[in-house]
Amino acid sequence: MIRLTIDGREATVPEGTMVVDAAATVGIDIPIYCYHQALGPLGACRICLVEIEKMPKLMTACTTAATDGMVVHTQSKAAEKGRRGILEFLLINHPLDCPICDKGGECFLQDYVFQYGAGQARFEEAKIQRHKEYPVSPYILVDQERCVLCQRCVRFLGEYVGEEQLLMDGRGVHTVITNVPGIPVTSPFSGNVIDLCPVGALLSEPYHYRARPWNIEREETYCSQCPVGCPSSVTGRDGQVVRLEGRPTPGQWGWLCDHGRFTYDFGTHPTRLTEALLDANPVTVGRAAQVLGERLAAVVREHGADAVAILTGGSHILEDHHALRRFADEVVGTSRIGLVKPVESDLPLALLGTFAELEQSDTVLLLGTDPYESVPVVHLGLREQVRKRGLRVKALGDRHLLRETLAGEEWVVEPGGMAAALAAATAAASSHPDARRAAEGLDPADESLTGLGQALVEADALTILWDGREPDLVRALVALARARGDRATRVLPTFGPRNWLAAVRAGIPTDYETTRRILMDAADGRIQVLLLWGADPIRDFPDGDLAARALERCPEVYFGGVFPPEGAKLLAGMLPTAAWAEETGTYVNMEGRLQTAHGAASAPGQARPTRSILQTVARAFGSPLRRLDEWDPYEGTVEDRVVLPPLEETVTSVSRSEAAQTGKDSGFRLISGFDVAVTHDPSEVAARTKEERPARMHPQDLEDLGLQDGSGLVQILSGDRSFRVGVRSDPRIPRGRVFVPRGVTGVPINRLTTTDVAVRVAEEVASR
Amino acid sequence: MKKLDRHYLLRHRDVAGIGTLKGYEADGGYSGLKKALSEFEPDALVDLVKASGLRGRGGAGFPTGLKWSFLAKDGRPRALVVNADEGEPGTFKDREIIEHNPHQLIEGMLIASYATRAPESFIYIRGEFLRGYEVLQQAIAEAMEGGYIGDKVLGTDFSHRMYLYRGAGAYICGEESALLESLEGRRGNPRLKPPFPAVAGVYGLPTVVNNVETIANLPPLILNGAEWHRQWGTEKSPGLKVMSVSGHVARPGNYEVPLDTTLRELIEMAGGVTPGHQVKAVIPGGSSMPLLPASKLDTSIDYESLVQAGSMLGSGGCIVMDDTTCIVAAVARVVRFYRDESCGKCTPCREGTYWMTDVLDRLEGGLGELDDLDTLLDVADNINGKAFCPLGDASVGFMVSAIRHFRDEFVEHITGRTCPLGARLYDTVNY
Repeated sequence: MIRLTIDGREATVPEGTMVVDAAATVGIDIPIYCYHQALGPLGACRICLVEIEKMPKLMTACTTAATDGMVVHTQSKAAEKGRRGILEFLLINHPLDCPICDKGGECFLQDYVFQYGAGQARFEEAKIQRHKEYPVSPYILVDQERCVLCQRCVRFLGEYVGEEQLLMDGRGVHTVITNVPGIPVTSPFSGNVIDLCPVGALLSEPYHYRARPWNIEREETYCSQCPVGCPSSVTGRDGQVVRLEGRPTPGQWGWLCDHGRFTYDFGTHPTRLTEALLDANPVTVGRAAQVLGERLAAVVREHGADAVAILTGGSHILEDHHALRRFADEVVGTSRIGLVKPVESDLPLALLGTFAELEQSDTVLLLGTDPYESVPVVHLGLREQVRKRGLRVKALGDRHLLRETLAGEEWVVEPGGMAAALAAATAAASSHPDARRAAEGLDPADESLTGLGQALVEADALTILWDGREPDLVRALVALARARGDRATRVLPTFGPRNWLAAVRAGIPTDYETTRRILMDAADGRIQVLLLWGADPIRDFPDGDLAARALERCPEVYFGGVFPPEGAKLLAGMLPTAAWAEETGTYVNMEGRLQTAHGAASAPGQARPTRSILQTVARAFGSPLRRLDEWDPYEGTVEDRVVLPPLEETVTSVSRSEAAQTGKDSGFRLISGFDVAVTHDPSEVAARTKEERPARMHPQDLEDLGLQDGSGLVQILSGDRSFRVGVRSDPRIPRGRVFVPRGVTGVPINRLTTTDVAVRVAEEVASR
Repeated sequence: MKKLDRHYLLRHRDVAGIGTLKGYEADGGYSGLKKALSEFEPDALVDLVKASGLRGRGGAGFPTGLKWSFLAKDGRPRALVVNADEGEPGTFKDREIIEHNPHQLIEGMLIASYATRAPESFIYIRGEFLRGYEVLQQAIAEAMEGGYIGDKVLGTDFSHRMYLYRGAGAYICGEESALLESLEGRRGNPRLKPPFPAVAGVYGLPTVVNNVETIANLPPLILNGAEWHRQWGTEKSPGLKVMSVSGHVARPGNYEVPLDTTLRELIEMAGGVTPGHQVKAVIPGGSSMPLLPASKLDTSIDYESLVQAGSMLGSGGCIVMDDTTCIVAAVARVVRFYRDESCGKCTPCREGTYWMTDVLDRLEGGLGELDDLDTLLDVADNINGKAFCPLGDASVGFMVSAIRHFRDEFVEHITGRTCPLGARLYDTVNY
């Protein structure tokens, strides 16, 4: 540890700490623009000049490492003059347009000039004029006049993200930040440069001229679009969400991906459910709840409580899940309650890992999932760990999962072959009985898989990112964890829905089988009323046919939620509920961590919080819920995480799944996964870059189909089933495979019965 | 002052045809390299250069042998980079060596590479030096043909590759770390130090960056020994220096002189100032250095004496100004150069040079105010020592010294509302 004195205060910091960070530990704020801990020192802006005894000139606190016995003065005459001089320089070509600047009131240039700058300008010459609203992407405008050239944006995209899409052009005083001419910024992490910009140079186009800091509500929240749950701040104005920003927290930089950042307006999307419907007729939400309660009471009287089933979609807040659980237990009395999730596997929760554990791991396995697509900000974290400390990345999947910005070693196997490959690899490197048992009957691992097995079995700490496909992987994962003995084996599930782990905390079964049985019972006529709460089974449930049959055959299906589900015509009633940012509520992210998100907007139309609706239903049922709001979501959690059960799974042999065993030469193999770029909530803002071609194929395959320009519309056929989907080229998809993400409205891959498909070019049909 | 009976760096002036390998070999060329390879272990060469007292000729005057000994000793391959991005206004010495005596540079590079155990070396040549680039291309090809570059140089275990890289027209790329950035294909901005090039230079390798003239000193130095080198100059500044003399002299050009030559002697060599006129001021080391008034003409050009007189030897670009020179116009022109060449990375250099240029243009045009002088000096103080790299400091040295020595002339511009010497800055400045 290093001891130094800053403005008379003694600081003790680890070796290598920069003076600016050492000062922060004793509460001394040294102004900075170009420095950012995630990006490292640069030394360009010079605003952090301080006086250090025994050094001949002022030093930049961001590039000078603390040394033992160092004596630093941040408020000496020389330091003050140096700082004032830099601020004066920054202002000479800076326009005086604070009154119309989006950043006015939350700008570090304003703040520091107010605190440290001269009261009067001496510069009397002409200011240089530059682009004021130069679009570098559909979301980002550059005001080159306001830029202080700190390079945070350039370095973030170029170095941290690895997508060099912003650059410095020109030299000297004519230097500007811009994009490559003619090539807009497309990185899904681009929005972070708006947060990183210390001044009003990088502006959010959707937020441009929308509000001022003093007429907004800015509340702490967590992003709602994927299971990462990125800390963020939501800005509300006049009851509407107008902005989402990243929010740095201890240990996290506060990055967001653009899919999350710019989807903030989903609550006001035209397709939002804002009125209650009974048999397609609009009624008040109170009336609908009343009718639902009366119907439930009648059904329970006539058919018994188990004639009612409840399915949650895992998107509502934890408090709502708790209310649903109690509603099922105390009001209806049904045992039929479950979760609709888009995968058929059940993660052994004992293995659930955390981001902190990921940062402690020496090896990461991407299992079928590309975090860049499924949980984008985790991809950034992985890249940082690779760059910072050489984290080893392994990937096992049915397509290429690594990318230019995330290097490692990867194994691409047959569709459906991941479980067998993982089990065989583990068995090749371990003689643990469970490892052998899991691999029973499988071909022994070939040489390359042995390398994977060794890397996984011998890693000191292993974190696995898994998207929940191939149920047999559960056995392979448990075998791997057992084979690794005491060394940490952690799994981070990358599949949605966003808040499915809230169901775990609320005591709602989250396993595939429970939900499948409920849907079977509904399809078989054993259920009279099916209550879907945020659940869209036809779109999301892996067996789409079963879900469709259930909705068709069940006499009365009611839905409560934010967006109407597929098969809305089959519903007896719909009730609009409040969404994210419209009330304070608790989310549980992919680490199992509870996150309380605050509201900054009002629910539109008749949308009401779920608990309020359920209470009305319960009263109409004749059995009101008592003391619903006294429940404490955090009670019994450990470090804000849900309590995990012990690992009890018994390991049996992994079978090569049916999909892997087919091999008929019918053309293409269908593979899938998760891509938040196409599955995020409907948003008019994010529509600017919404990918309309969710499916992907190898460029050569596309060319062979006659789609020379790398994209088009295709029809995917399997047996008597087919659907149309937009397709684009992706060299990371192996030849002969077609990738279609799960959970895309109108792209029913869950209704195909086999993964052998034919792909034909479809005619573009003008939409009516 | 020891008079030179021949040239050692500008050898082509004495020997015709030395620009080709044949001509160079005929004059004993590459015997320094042969001696180095056959008689010296690399470390002994470093010691020899240390003992000679040779200092860097690019501007900073850092002891060359010492610089070599700073290279990281961790087993990574090293690299030698020759800074041939000669851009300092008033300096044109490297250009003459490159264009007319290229093999001495190549021989010096091979000696330096052998001494520092660098398997590869790079020449970063100023983009505008097209002729020099072509000459070097030819010379390197000849040297490869002759067995001086390549595998097993002259049958020894020393193997070497040499790369020639053209700059794209930026003064800042003469700064060694910006040069390395540019050499690697990035924007020519100076790098944060540490790490210093000796630890992580070109492509992250431990790197020595030396000036062309420094390297050209090596072949005669190795042949003749440290004491031979020390016969010229002073104890702390031994050896020979090529001084570029320009401005109001009869015979502007390069002059190879011992380092204890005075400025007056140098001007006399160059034929003196225009008849009937007096020296008004001299910048001894290129436009980045403060000027010296005529009263300091008897100062020796060695590093220490010039510092004591209030300036620096720098790159040895001696700009002579006679009494027809408007100092304000000269300052305005020089500061404009730094404004144009500032890379834009750091605030004080980027904005400060812009501000000073505007004020100086106004002053020269007769539109100044008296408090502009205080503003200029304060702006200069806010740049000096606060910029990221030496370019910021370089931009203010001449101006501050000019205001100090010729304040009256600035005041005359302001009170008289015009340039008393009738300088026509705006006719010569291309906006």
